[in-house]
This record gives sequence, structure tokens and C-alpha cells, in this order.
Amino acid sequence: MDIVILKDILTVAATIILAPIIGGLLTGIDRKITARMQSRSGPPILQPFYDLIKLLGKERLIVNQTQMMFALGHLFFAVAALAMFMLGQDLLMILFIMAFSSIMLIMGAMSVRSPYSKIGAQREIVQIMAYEPVLILMVVGIFLSTGSFMIRPLFSDMFSFGKPLLYDLPLVFIAFIYVLTIKLRKSPFDFSTSHHGHQELIKGITTEFSGPQLAVIELTHWYELVLFLGLITMFFARPVWIGIGIALICYFCEIVIDNISARMTWKWMLQATWIVGIGVAMTNIIWLYLK
Amino acid sequence: MDKYTLLALAIFIPLLSAFLCYTFNKPWVRNTVVFVTALIMFAVAGGFVYYLIHSGGKIEISLESLHLPFDVGFIFKLFDFLLLAYIADIGMKHKKPLIVFLSVLQAVALLVFELVGSVKEPHVVFVIDYLSLIMLLLVSVIGPMITIFATGYMKEHEHHQHLEKSRQPRFFAILFIFLSAMNALVMTNNLSWMLFFWEVTTLCSFLLISHDGNEKAVKNGLRALWINMLGGLAFVFAIIVIYNALGTLSLEELLRNRMVSAGLLPVGLGLLCFAGFTKSAQFPFQSWLLGAMVAPTPVSALLHSSTMVKAGVYLIVRIAPVFSGTTLGTMVAVAGAFTFVGASAIAISQSNGKRVLAYSTIANLGLIVCCAGIGSYVALGAAVLLMIFHAISKALLFLCVGTIELEIGSRDIEDMQGLFKKMPFTTVIAVIGMISMLLPPFGVLLTKWLALEAAVKLPLVLICIIIGSAFTLVFWSKWIGIILTLSFHAKYKMEKLPVAMSATMAVLVLAVIFTGVDISMIFNAVVAPFLTESLKGLPETVLNGTNGLWLVSESGRMVGGFSSFYFFMILFLLFLLYPYIFRSSKAELWKPPYLCGANTEEDFKGLEFNAPADTVEHVIVHNYYFAGAFGEANITPWANFIAGAIIMIMFGVVI
Repeated sequence: MDIVILKDILTVAATIILAPIIGGLLTGIDRKITARMQSRSGPPILQPFYDLIKLLGKERLIVNQTQMMFALGHLFFAVAALAMFMLGQDLLMILFIMAFSSIMLIMGAMSVRSPYSKIGAQREIVQIMAYEPVLILMVVGIFLSTGSFMIRPLFSDMFSFGKPLLYDLPLVFIAFIYVLTIKLRKSPFDFSTSHHGHQELIKGITTEFSGPQLAVIELTHWYELVLFLGLITMFFARPVWIGIGIALICYFCEIVIDNISARMTWKWMLQATWIVGIGVAMTNIIWLYLK
Repeated sequence: MDKYTLLALAIFIPLLSAFLCYTFNKPWVRNTVVFVTALIMFAVAGGFVYYLIHSGGKIEISLESLHLPFDVGFIFKLFDFLLLAYIADIGMKHKKPLIVFLSVLQAVALLVFELVGSVKEPHVVFVIDYLSLIMLLLVSVIGPMITIFATGYMKEHEHHQHLEKSRQPRFFAILFIFLSAMNALVMTNNLSWMLFFWEVTTLCSFLLISHDGNEKAVKNGLRALWINMLGGLAFVFAIIVIYNALGTLSLEELLRNRMVSAGLLPVGLGLLCFAGFTKSAQFPFQSWLLGAMVAPTPVSALLHSSTMVKAGVYLIVRIAPVFSGTTLGTMVAVAGAFTFVGASAIAISQSNGKRVLAYSTIANLGLIVCCAGIGSYVALGAAVLLMIFHAISKALLFLCVGTIELEIGSRDIEDMQGLFKKMPFTTVIAVIGMISMLLPPFGVLLTKWLALEAAVKLPLVLICIIIGSAFTLVFWSKWIGIILTLSFHAKYKMEKLPVAMSATMAVLVLAVIFTGVDISMIFNAVVAPFLTESLKGLPETVLNGTNGLWLVSESGRMVGGFSSFYFFMILFLLFLLYPYIFRSSKAELWKPPYLCGANTEEDFKGLEFNAPADTVEHVIVHNYYFAGAFGEANITPWANFIAGAIIMIMFGVVI
């Protein structure tokens, strides 16, 4: 029993330390690839870490006293979700905790009287409304396939081959990849925030965060990225290294999509996600019922 | 104290207080009566907890053991007809033929039932088990707390109304009669007695909704009256059908049956569910609960949390084990799930805070009905837990909105921008209340999670719950965002509230937090015994409460779970950081928000900026309400139509 607890504690500790390193590196690679696609040379791969350190050292400008609290809440719940994922907890609850993390950022953006930040927050809410049903359907599909809401810890079998989840859930996986574009704030679904401060939305949901607050939000994104790639891995994780490989390929595809598409409107996104995402996932789930 | 004293106190103490409040129109007498009654009712509820645990989970009280010198059954019948006559009189006075018609029809049906063949009344008249205990606790703890709040609120309320003579004696008398009827309703074992208490709550809700006496109040009160009379009529027919099927009016004997697909029993159960739908304001009967908003805040808090609407779901949860796993059960689940998604969708388009709360109540009741319809161990567990958590959180939220309305003179969500500055105390409490309706690790979300895991075998129900919970997230987070908005350089001013109001809200918010932290204790103490008792011997996934809730399948494998307790502990540790962050912000580092131009010099709120051509622009930001997609007027007719069809199908499959 004690060994199990010790193992759990070590897993959580390793997750907390390693996840941002992996997330930061992937973000750096993302920026490099994006730059190459746009015929630029791009920043060094370690640039996200330099940015983070720079942001942490900046003057702590604030608009009100509660912003930092929301940013930290955003971070905490993302870390909690990732830790629960690594420990093999209830996947549905992990989704709810991820949603809590997003809600914290929304509240932080709405806590200031800035029109840009508020509009970004409203759009973020619309995004959650769009992708949350698809994610929950994914969990239902996994339950129907495995008979449990508790997921297998990701690294439980490193080398043994087995039937991957994808075998039962191909359409659910497609729907998941589709909503992942929204979750990663990639084009065509990047309308709650944008990478460029000179558009109609300024920086959207993160407009009024600066310095250390922004660093915390950036860090959260790295944790989230690792969690999403972990979810992709889960579909293939017998053995785990195939899953990791495919997760990286999927991430590359997301980068390509980001670069070749323009931003759409939220109405279009809501309709498209519900019809395509829910429709596709539901089709898969119905055949699992009948099987 | 023995069980007879406890029973008598639970029913007659509120009646006595009602009499005292009605007779003495002195504020200090009224306040003392309310306070003392509350203490006695808390004690009675505690007494029931103690007594029930020490008597093996069930208290039965038979008619003979009461040693009454008169025929109590006859008296109930007499009261029944008097009540119907009174309601018919109301219908006559307000020229509503429908109400007269419904009450006459009920009276005729009852009369025929009594005259044709002598009806054998059940031997055991009161049965108190764990479900009754839970309801008793909700009614006798939250109910009196709301009346205490009302002593502070009604004074302010009447101050705004400029009445010549206070109408508070009438108001408090009805409140107490209401609580008495609810207590009796959840304890009685005799269906025909239950009908009487059911109709008393209907009448009380009419009197309370129309309390202010203006045109709108009376109109909405009458609507509540006729819709609930329709449910009452279904109840009468249910009694007749069930008596003909089983030869008994005892609820306990009814629960010993398992439903078979043919015969009269399914029809009776369907009619009881219909009655529950009307009382719990399920689609298409939701309009009465929305109309009930015109009443003073304590009334809405009472109707929405522990009483009235909970009577409907109590009845459905009570009879759920009988139809568990049948087509009738599935249809009830579909009806509830549809209400959940429909009400949550409409709530997105509402900017009136009280209407958002009302739609959220309807949605949550829908989820309870849905879980009762699914009827498995996990689903029933979710239903009962949601009854508890929803009652506490919703009572709190209504009191908060009522308080905010008294202070800022509006219940519109958009007017609550920057509320934290004006009313920090109420705002913090309201935000905790809202978070408890929405986010983990609080109880309401845990029940939603359980409901999803229980609904996995019913695709239609499942998709409704999934989409409904996405909608829920939207309307709550919009509202929380608005009231947490802080102006640039806010000056805080603590609000002054009457002690009765602030103390009630403080106690309720503590209750929200403690019940959330200790969900496994609540589950193990009262919910699990009820589930094992009512679902005897069915091999299926069960729940286990250790530091949270865990789903354990038949084979003993853990298939889901969440240790909410530890999560709460980490959350509390995190909150200890807050004062540090709050203090570490130096005033010179404060900057106004970016407004598309230079902020004006004297702008201390961060709302104005210098636009081109030296004009000063004022910034106003509103929430999205999606009136086109989710507008009440667009959705309601369709939703009512579909819900009506679902109810028709429900009756179609049982006949």
C-alpha cells in the first residue's frame, strides 16, 4: 500500500516538473515550424522559456487585485487535471476539472472592465459550449469500449502490444482531433484570443494580463498541451511509444491546419462543431451500443 | 421523547406558530415566534435523525397506536372537500371556470371513489425512512431559516410598498402552514392523506404567490393554482387506479411490488409521475414556477429549494424503484432529461437573475426526475444527492438575489456589474453559491457526473444531459463573470444588512461548503441506507463513499470515482494564498484597462477614453445572450410541444 502511494506521489512530482519542459519545447518547435511555413527563420527552440523568464521578471502591473488569483486557479486546475490523468483517475471528472480551469481564465478576463478582454471571455464560453459535449462523448465511447471510466495509467504497459482504443473508436477519435483545434486555440478557431495584438480583438481573453500573470497563463498552456497529447496517446497506448509518436504527428497536423486556415466566426464554429463533432462521435457510439 | 411526540411536533408546531403569527401583529412577537419555532424544528429534525438511526432505519406509526378518540380518516376527507370547495370559491371569485371545473371534477371523483365500495384505509399511517428523513431535514432546516430571513426581508419589502396595514401576519401564517403540510406529506404512508397535504401545498403556494395582491401577482398565482390542480386531478385518478389494482392505499405496500408491463398499476404510476411533473414544473408545466417570481423573495426561495417543487420529485423518487428498468422508467427519464436541456438552453438567453435561477431550478428538477426514471443504484443515488445539494444552494442563491435586489433595485444581471464594490459580503456568498451549482468538487457537479455515468446505457437521455450541462456552464459563468467585475481603483463599501438576513446567508453558505466537503459522510449516513433498502438484491454497479464517491461494479471492480475530500483540502490551502496576493499589489502598479485609446485623465473607473476628434467615449460591455438561438419565445412553444408528446408517449406505453 505504501509503495503504491509513494509511486503515486513520484508520478505527480514527475508530472509537475517534466510537463512544462515538454510543453515548452513543443511550443518552441511549433513556433519554429510555423515560421518555416511562413518563410521566416523563426526564434530559437528555447525561446518560450526565455519569454517565460522575462515575463516573470517584469513589473507587476495589475488592473485589479483578483486577476492573479484567477490566473493561479487556471494553472492549478490544469495541473490537477494532468496529475489525475497520469494517475489513471476518472476521465469524466478530469474533463470537468479542465473545464474549471478554463472557467477560471474566463472569470479573470471578465473581472476587468475592458471590452476586448470581455469579448474574448464571451467567445471562450462559446468555445466551451461547443467542445465540451464532444469531449464528454469521447469519455462515453471509452466507457463503452473498456467498461470503466477510470483510465489505464499511460505508462502501465510500455512494450506489450494490445488492441488500441482506436479500434473501437475511430470516429470518436476524429471528433476529438477536431475539437482539439479549438482547445489549442488554433485557426480557424482562434477567435477568443489571437497571437497578434493588432487585430479587432487585440489579445482577446488575455488582453489585460501582463508580466507574471501572463507567465502563469503561458505555463498553463504548456500543461494543457501535454494533457491533450496524452489524451491522443491514450487512443493508441499499447505500447505507449506508438501513441506518443502518433500524438506528435497529430500535433504537427494541427500546426499545418493553423497555418493554412483563416479565423472563422463563432456561429460557424458552434454549428460546425455540434453537427460534425457530435454527429460523428454519436455515430460511433451508436454502433458500439448495437455491437 | 418518543416517536409520537416527534411526529406531533413536526406537524403541529408550525401550525401553532402560524396561529400565533396570524393573531399577534407585533413585530417583536412575530420575530420571537419565528425564531423559537426555527429552534424547535431544528431540534425535531435532529430528534428524527437520532431516533431513525436507533430504530433500524424505519419508524412506523399505526392508526391504533395513536389512540385517537375520533375517526381521523373521516376528518381528513372532510378537510379534503372543504379545501376543494375553498379552491372552487377562489376560482369563482376570480372568474376562472377552469379552476372551478378542476376542483369540482376532483371532488366528484373522490366522492365516487369513497361511495362505490368501502375503501380500506391502510393500517400504518406514517412511515419514516431515510428518504423521508432527508426531506424532513431539508424542510425543517432550510424552511425555518428562510422564515428567519423573511423577518428581515419583509420589513424592507413592505417599507417599499407603503402599505397602510402590515400584511405580514397573513404571510408568516401561510409560510408555517406550508412547512407543516410539507412535513406531513413526506411522512405519510396513506396515499389519500398525501393527496390532502399535496393540495394544501398547492393552495398555500397560490396564496403566497398572489400575496402582494397586484394584478400580475394574482394572475400568476391563479396559473400556479390551475396547473397544480391539474396535477391534483391526476393524483386522484392515480389513487383510484392503484386502489383497484392492488386493493390498498398504502405507499409501503405499493413499493413492495415490481411493476409488470400489463394491468392497471403502470397507469397509476404514470398518473403519479404526471402529478409529480406538474408540481416540479417540468416542461410543459414550467410556466407556473416562472410566474412565481412576482412573489416576495422568501417565497421563491421556499418554493424553489426545500418545499413545493421538491414534493413532486420526492413522489417520483419514492415510487421510482417500482418502475425501475421498465419502459415507463425510460420515458420518465427522457421527459426529465428533455426538461434539463430545454430549461438550460432558455436560461442562456435570460438577463433577469431570478429567471435564470428559476430555469436552473427547472433544469435541476429535470435531472432529478431523469435519474429517478433511470432508477439504477447510481442514478437514484444521484437523484437523492441532487435533491439535497440543490435545495441548499438554491435557497442560498435566491436569498442572495433578493438581497441584491433590495439594495440595487434591480434583478437584471447586467445591473450587477461591479457588485463586489457595493456589496462585498453578499457577492462573495453569491459567488460561492453559484460555483457550488457549477464546478467540482461541489455536490451539484458530482451528482451531474454521477447522472452522466448512470445514463450511459440510454443514448437519448445521455445526449440530452451532455448538451444540457454544456448550457449550464454558459449561463452560470456569464453571471459569475459579471458580478466579479471590478472597476479600476474600486472603493469597497461594506453593505448594511439586517442581522436576520446576513446571518441566514452566512449559515447557508457554510452549509453549502460543509455538505460539499463531507459528501461521503452524507452519502454513507442517509443516502446509502435508503438505496440498499429500496433496491434490494439487484446486482449492479453501486456507490461507495470514502473521501468522495466511487463506482464499484458487480464484480467489485472500481469503474469510476473522485476523491472530492482531498480536492477540497488542496483548494482550501490554495485560498490561504489569497490574502498574500491581495496585499502584495501596490497602488502605483495599478493601471487602467485598455480602451482603444488614451483613458481620460479624471477617469478613475476605467470606463472612458479619448476617441478621435477629441470626443470622450464611454465604454459599456454587455454579455452575450444569444436571443436569436436560445430566446425564450423561440424555444418555449417547441419545447412544450415535444414535452407534451413525450408525456403522451409515456401514457401510450403503459395503457
